[in-house]
Amino acid sequence: MEDESFCNISGKPISLDCQSHSSFCREFTVSTPKISIGKVMVYTCSVWLFAYTVFFFTQNTAVLSSAILITLVGMMLHIHFVKVDHESLLVIGSLGIQVSSSYASGREVTTFIEMSKIKDIVINEAVYLHQIIYYLCVLLRDPSEPHGVSSVVTLFQSSKPRLNCLVKIYKSCQEILSTCK
Amino acid sequence: MVENSPSPLPERAIYGFVLFLGSQFGFFLYCLWAYIPEEWLHSVGLTYWPQKYWALAMPIYLLVALMVFVVVLFGINMNNTAPLDSVDNITDVFAQGQRSDCYRKGGIPRLKDVSISEVNKMFYLSSDR
Repeated sequence: MEDESFCNISGKPISLDCQSHSSFCREFTVSTPKISIGKVMVYTCSVWLFAYTVFFFTQNTAVLSSAILITLVGMMLHIHFVKVDHESLLVIGSLGIQVSSSYASGREVTTFIEMSKIKDIVINEAVYLHQIIYYLCVLLRDPSEPHGVSSVVTLFQSSKPRLNCLVKIYKSCQEILSTCK
Repeated sequence: MVENSPSPLPERAIYGFVLFLGSQFGFFLYCLWAYIPEEWLHSVGLTYWPQKYWALAMPIYLLVALMVFVVVLFGINMNNTAPLDSVDNITDVFAQGQRSDCYRKGGIPRLKDVSISEVNKMFYLSSDR
């Protein structure tokens, strides 16, 4: 388990954890930093200050209670649907790969892709908003057409690590894929 | 056979100068129409011209249209960019329909699209750089 300092495409630090369960089974976990309490307090205070100024001018108490409701519901939705805590990739030779992302509220979303559908795991570059980023993706193939790419599944799309992290994962994955395919 | 090159030629200089004079004259006429009061134009006999409102409205319309066009063009480009999980980032119809090599000894190999797996192996797995 090595932990050099990696960062994502915006420069925020992330951490990579590689575990080798056996010679043909490896697991990679990329964790993003947790929500900072300072940011939460800044957002809550600004929303409540804004609601208080609106109440000051309109004298309508529903504004205050709706602001409290909005901040509570917004925070719950954010940690349940938006904020990803860590994403993991488990590669088992000649069986398949499992991609899972777990959110800050504890919810986990897992997908398994069997080895016959996987053509390759590659690092690709593409245009993303105003920049070009490197990202790791799984090329899937149709069993009826073994030489064509039918669809693409992107890995680590919430944490978006930079190239040094991706190269490490890529080399490790290719060792397993080349021997056990 | 006429040469197609972007170099300066005497004819192009003449076209450019004619366009320059024409546009300056057109602007002078536009200013005349915008500033001379309607009664004077009517007295000379020029009655069927657009309303003076358009002397101000038309340049403003053109400038606002230009600014909106720049923003909308940027937006349309961003909208048409393929998402990260689309096959268009990996390959396309032309790359899939390539014919395989028919090598001749000493000949130049056919130009073709290298698959992303090979490119990756070359970049990241070969450690003899």
